[in-house]
Parts: sequence; C-alpha cells; structure tokens
Amino acid sequence: MWAYILKRLFSLLPVLFVVSIVIFSIIHMTPGDPTSYMLGEEATKEQIATARTQLGLDLPVYEQYWNWVTKAVVGNLGDSYHMNMSVNEAIMGHIGPTLSLAILAEIVALCIAIPLGIIAAIKRGTATDQTVMGFSLLGMAIPSFLLALFLVLLIGVKLQWLPVAGYRPLEEGLWNHVKYLIMPAISLGSIQAALIARMTRSSMLEVLNTNYIKMARAKGVVEKKVIYSHALRNAFLPILTVIGITFGGLVTGAVVTETIFNIPGIGSLIMNSVSKRDYTVIQGIVLFVTFVYVMLNLIIDILYGVIDPRVRLEEK
Amino acid sequence: MRLIKYAMLLCAMLFALVGCSSDSAGGDSAAKKEKKGGELRVAVPSEPPTLDTHLNTTTISSNIARNIFETLLAFNSNGEIQPMLVESYKEDGNTIEFKLRQGVKFHNGEEMKAKDVVASMNRWINVSSSGKETFKGATFKEIDEYTVLLEMAEPTSTATLVLAYSGGEAPTIMPASVLEGKDPKQKIGEYIGTGPFQFKEWKQNQQIHLTKFNDYSSREEPGSGLAGKREALVDDLYILFVPDSSTRVAGILSGEYDAAMELPIDSVDQLRGNKDIELKSVPRELLLLYFNKKEGLFTNKVAREAVDTAINKEDVLKAAFVNPDFYKTNHHVMLANQESQWYSDTGKDKYHFHDTELAKKLFAEAGYKGEEIRLMTSRDYDHMYNASIVVQEQLKKAGINVKLEVYDWPTFSERRNDPSAFDITIITNKGKVEPTSLVWTRSDYVGWTESEELNGITTKIRQAPSLDDARGYYDELQAWFLDFRPAIKMGDGDMLFAGRKTLSQLEDVDGLIFWNVSNSK
Repeated sequence: MWAYILKRLFSLLPVLFVVSIVIFSIIHMTPGDPTSYMLGEEATKEQIATARTQLGLDLPVYEQYWNWVTKAVVGNLGDSYHMNMSVNEAIMGHIGPTLSLAILAEIVALCIAIPLGIIAAIKRGTATDQTVMGFSLLGMAIPSFLLALFLVLLIGVKLQWLPVAGYRPLEEGLWNHVKYLIMPAISLGSIQAALIARMTRSSMLEVLNTNYIKMARAKGVVEKKVIYSHALRNAFLPILTVIGITFGGLVTGAVVTETIFNIPGIGSLIMNSVSKRDYTVIQGIVLFVTFVYVMLNLIIDILYGVIDPRVRLEEK
Repeated sequence: MRLIKYAMLLCAMLFALVGCSSDSAGGDSAAKKEKKGGELRVAVPSEPPTLDTHLNTTTISSNIARNIFETLLAFNSNGEIQPMLVESYKEDGNTIEFKLRQGVKFHNGEEMKAKDVVASMNRWINVSSSGKETFKGATFKEIDEYTVLLEMAEPTSTATLVLAYSGGEAPTIMPASVLEGKDPKQKIGEYIGTGPFQFKEWKQNQQIHLTKFNDYSSREEPGSGLAGKREALVDDLYILFVPDSSTRVAGILSGEYDAAMELPIDSVDQLRGNKDIELKSVPRELLLLYFNKKEGLFTNKVAREAVDTAINKEDVLKAAFVNPDFYKTNHHVMLANQESQWYSDTGKDKYHFHDTELAKKLFAEAGYKGEEIRLMTSRDYDHMYNASIVVQEQLKKAGINVKLEVYDWPTFSERRNDPSAFDITIITNKGKVEPTSLVWTRSDYVGWTESEELNGITTKIRQAPSLDDARGYYDELQAWFLDFRPAIKMGDGDMLFAGRKTLSQLEDVDGLIFWNVSNSK
C-alpha cells in the first residue's frame, strides 16, 4: 500500500515537469504584456521599459524559465507581478473560499443526486423514473452561469433573501459565511447532481439485477437494507469516481460561477491573472491544479479499497 | 462575459414578462438624514495595480488613493482651482510659491511640512508621465518649514491645472520618511497620507478597506467638488472589486452595494425603474479613431481626410453609447462639459459633414488600390467594438476593403503599440484638464503623432503668461487637429454610476467622491 502511494507520488514529477514547460510556453507565446495593466493605458514607452526590466521580462525566455523552475522545484512559485505577495500566498489566500464553495456544492449535489438516483433505479421504467431522469437531463443541459443568473435575479434581487454577490470569511460567523455561498453552491451543485444522479441510477440498476440481491430478497432481508447496505455499497465505486472528478473540478475553481458571484477563490484568481497577464500566478495555479487532480485521483483509488474489499491493495 | 450579459438581459426580459416589475418599498428621498458612522460599500470594475499614484496612470488607482492622499491644489465643482494642502500660492513667471497649511497631520501622526512636499513632488515630477511632460527640468525647493517653491525651466500656464488634477497620476503628498532611501521607481508599500480616510487593509482580488481618520484637519470653506471641507461621514469605506458588470448591477439593485461605478448602458431601464436607486452619468470619455501614422496608407494625410469624409460621426457615437442621454456630439478636442474653460468654434459646421462619393475620390487621390485595411478592436469594451463595426460598414460603402481584427484587451493593449499591427483603431481616452495633456499629442502614444507645428502650439499654450492667454491658443490647436488629423474625434461619452438613496449625496469629479457622503442605511 505505502509502496504504491510512493510510486504514485513519484510519477507526479514527470507530469509536473511536462506541465510546467507546456504552460510556460503557452503563456509566453500568448500576446499581451503584464506591464500594460500595471502602469495603465497611458503609460509612456520609457515607463514600460523600466517595468519590464524590473520584472525580468527582458531576459531570454529560456533564462526566465530556468529562473522560475529552479525556485518552483523547492516549492517557491515566485512572486505575483501585480499583487503584493508571493504566488504561494496568493493561492493559499484564495483556496479558502473555493474549498468552502466546493464542499457546499458537493453537499448540495449529493443530497439531490443520491436519493433521486436510487428512486429512479427502484422505480425503473415508471413515470417517476422518467421525470427524475428528465430533470437530470435538463440539469446537465443548463449552463451553470444561466442558472446562477436566474438565482441572482430571483432570490437576490427580487426576493432579497440572500446577498447577490461577495464573500465573508468563516471568522465573521458561520451564517454570514454560508449565506454568501448558498446560491453559488446551488448553481454549481445542481449541475453536478444531474451527472451523479444518472450515474447512481445506472450503477444501482446493474447491481439490483445481480444474483446476490435476489438472494438477499429471497432470504427475506428488509427491502431498505437490501437497497442501502447491499445494493448501494456495491454500486458506489463508479459513483465515487464521478464524485471525485466533479469535486476536483470544484476545488480547482469554478471560474464562471466565482466571477458572477464575485467570490475571491481560485477561479476568480485565474480569471484576474489571465486578464492581467500575471504570468507567475497563472503558471503557479496550473501547477497547483495539476497537483490537486493527481492527488485527488490517488485518494479516490485508496477509497476504492475502503469501500470494496475486493480491490484492497494489500491483498494483492 | 458577453454571453453572461446577454443571458442576464434575457432573464430580465423573462421576469418582466411574468410581471415581476421592480416595486421595492421605501426609498423616500426626502427622508435622507445626515447620519454619521456606518459603512459605505462601493463596487468598482477593476482592482488598482497600486495606490502609489505617482507610478500609475489608471483612473481607478487615483480615485481610491485620493481618499488617503491629498494634493496641494484641487478643483471645485465649477472646475476652478482651489488650494487644498496649501494656505495660499503665488505664481510669478517660472516659479510658484506655496504656503503650506500648518497642523495638517499624516495618518502616522507626523505633521506635514515642506520636506514632505519637496520629497513627494520631486519624485512625482521624475517618475510620472504627466510630471515629466509638464514639468521638465522643474524642482520643488524648501524655503522654510511651511513654504515651498516650485522652480520651472520656463513659465508654464498649465502648471496649476496639472497639479490640481487627481483623475490619474495624481501628484499626491506622502511623508518624506516613507520615500527616503527608496528607489523612486519602486512602488511604495505603505499608504500614509493626510486624507479623510486611512488605509486599513487590502484583500487582493476582493476589496480595499479604508477607515475614517479621526485627526483629519479639514479646510473651513464649504465642500465643493474636490475642494473645501472634507469629512469622512462613514466609519468604514469598502471598495469592492467587481469585474462583472451584471454583478455590479444586481448588487446595487439588491442593496449589497451602496454605490456602483461604470454601469453598462443596457441596464439603464432596470436601474431607472427602481426607486431606491439614483442613476447618474458624467461625461468622461472622448471617443477617437486613431490612425497609424508610422506605417501604411494613413501616413498619407489625404487618406486620413478620406476616412473623415466617409464617416458619419453621430452614427458611430450612437452605436457606442446607445442612448442619446449618454453621449454628446462634440466637435472640439476637449469634453463638452469643459466648454466654460476650453471652447473653440473651429470645425463645428463640419462635424456632421460626410460624403461617400467625395471620400471615394479622396481615397483614389491618396493612392488607395483596394489593399486590406486592418481595423483593430477589442470585444472587452462594448462601446469600442460597436463603434468599430459601424466604422467598418461606413468605410466599406466608400469602397475600402476593411478587415476587423478583434482581440482580448491585454492583447489589444500590446498590439496597439506596434506600428506593424494595425491601420486604424478606435479608443476612448479619458478627458484631461488641459489640451496639451491629451494623449494624441504624444509621439509615443497609439498612432504616433509627429509634428513640429503641433509642438509649436503646445509650447505656446504651456508657456503662455496666464491660463487665459493659454486658452487663446486653443483655436489654433483645434484647427491643427482638424487639418492634420492625428485622430478623428467622434464625440463624448458618459460614465454611468448609481447610488442607493440612503446616501446623502454622490458626486463625480474625475471619479466618485466618498467624503461628505453619509449612509442612513
């Protein structure tokens, strides 16, 4: 088990190396200059030249890459051009809102998806099944920003139940923190829910047709127990994979949702950095996101074993 | 983000269809009471790169910074220059003597004295583009603790105007102790000024938090524009960065923000329909079509004249600013609301003139043979993009093969400095306090204007014995502009802003003013 985890961690290195080269090249090939934002539209040529020298942008590209990557290897992702902080600080400062939002959105998604998926599977072929699956199809089809804007207009502007945009940290109280995240969590979560519900249904159907379920029923096990402890647990592996992938997407920043709701998370950090051409921050975030994805996949793989003893690694 | 805006519009229409009209209660403007304390939350479209106004030309930076830092002089509501940090000043040929106010405290408790003014102003002259432009070879000298002398290489009529301007690169006063021993070209890290608000915290990508400065020494004269009495009536001022314009609109509608800047014109009906909100606008931008005068067809003056002849300027303005309430057909190079200071009749009769057939002839005369003309624009700013579409159509009618090249704003900002990248581009410039600061006069700005004649006129304006004399040369500058055509001026556009009616007032002088504003929320 530990050897396996170590092996996986080592395989991360070449991935990060390739990603670093690719992202560095893409950013430096993209037109646009960090100094134009820094100095304003009416800056003179001389001011721009001075700023480029200060940032080291006048050096050859390979030299810039070397300067960056040698620091990145020891975990120092460099300093942001525009923010008065290092990239590490910037990412850490923005991960909080994103994590809170991701967790809340995932809770919303699971609360909707798992019960609906199970109901649809049990009532297979009935009107209930078709209604549930119809809604989930609709959920997958609606872009998250459209749902977000509907929520803003209805709940924020018309009914004024919840604040339309912004973010308050947890230190200002749990309700203050959560009330800013409810609408974005619903808009993100319901779209994820659609996917997870479909996966739950199909996975449950497969399991419900197996012999051991028939056996359990024949034995006279209570139907609830059949569904929850026999069927759901066995059906959970593919569901878990989907949950992992969707959570990965949420943790690494929901760019559009964070922009609409003005949440200062990783998504809006990406958005801002791209529009300001803050090279070091973009590079740092991409490396960070790569890292998070690989780690999440690893965690999911380990969780497989926890849920399903048949894939436990030690026994191999 | 454009898609989002359309979706927002679609949603708004849907709501209107199902009868959910805006009918929020309250908002009696008569009930405005001056309440002290509380907070003021303002949504702004972008985050300033720094609050060090000496090193940055953006309006947003000076706009926020001027609550913390102050200038020697300031404009009142009528655009007249008034003393701010100085008791009085005396212009005499190529010197200006400033008597400083006594007992003015910085936020760190030190008193503002001559050494602070000398350190700040000499830095500003050396590092800011407007300082270098207007005050070449000038220096500030300390005479005594409360007197400073500005010595200029030559008499400069526009000096006090530039010193009073706080719309961008404001000449703000900081303590000498903050600037000492630092490379003047490096941004300062501490924001310590004499203003009514002091700096508390900057959460990157989120907000700047300013608080009331209790030891603020205010002027006695009644407040007018940026001049006179200043008092922080709220305890906390939050400047929130909200890049998405539809979020700014939703936020001001729901009361999440007390004020919002740079609102989109397509949200006007929605905002006007809400009685808790006051929507205002202020002339801010000059819409100009720039020619690349370094390379290509438009190095030829006749070709520039041909474009001018082909274009119906009012149509372009209409495309850019949609609603006639928010644009002005203005023929001269300054803003229409500056006409009490700067006005010229020259060219007024020709503003509406356009003739496609004549334009065709002029293009032929300029040697145009159907080659591709690149009109460069960005979709990030609707008004620039929409204006470009109309110009493209009008030039096509005059037989020009125009190709629209659309980029994102950072790319656009870089390419417009490259003479091989475009032929024509349409940009809005911010209005300036005096015509020689207008950016098209600079040889290093987009379009690359090089003209000995222009240099002669700007020198005459700057070196005129008085501002009144300087204004006398404005006609000459206007005539040169219309003949040389470094750019074509389409007209003036407004900036829209809104405040909740709980605010006692909301005024814009080169940006929103946050002192003397109370919030009864």
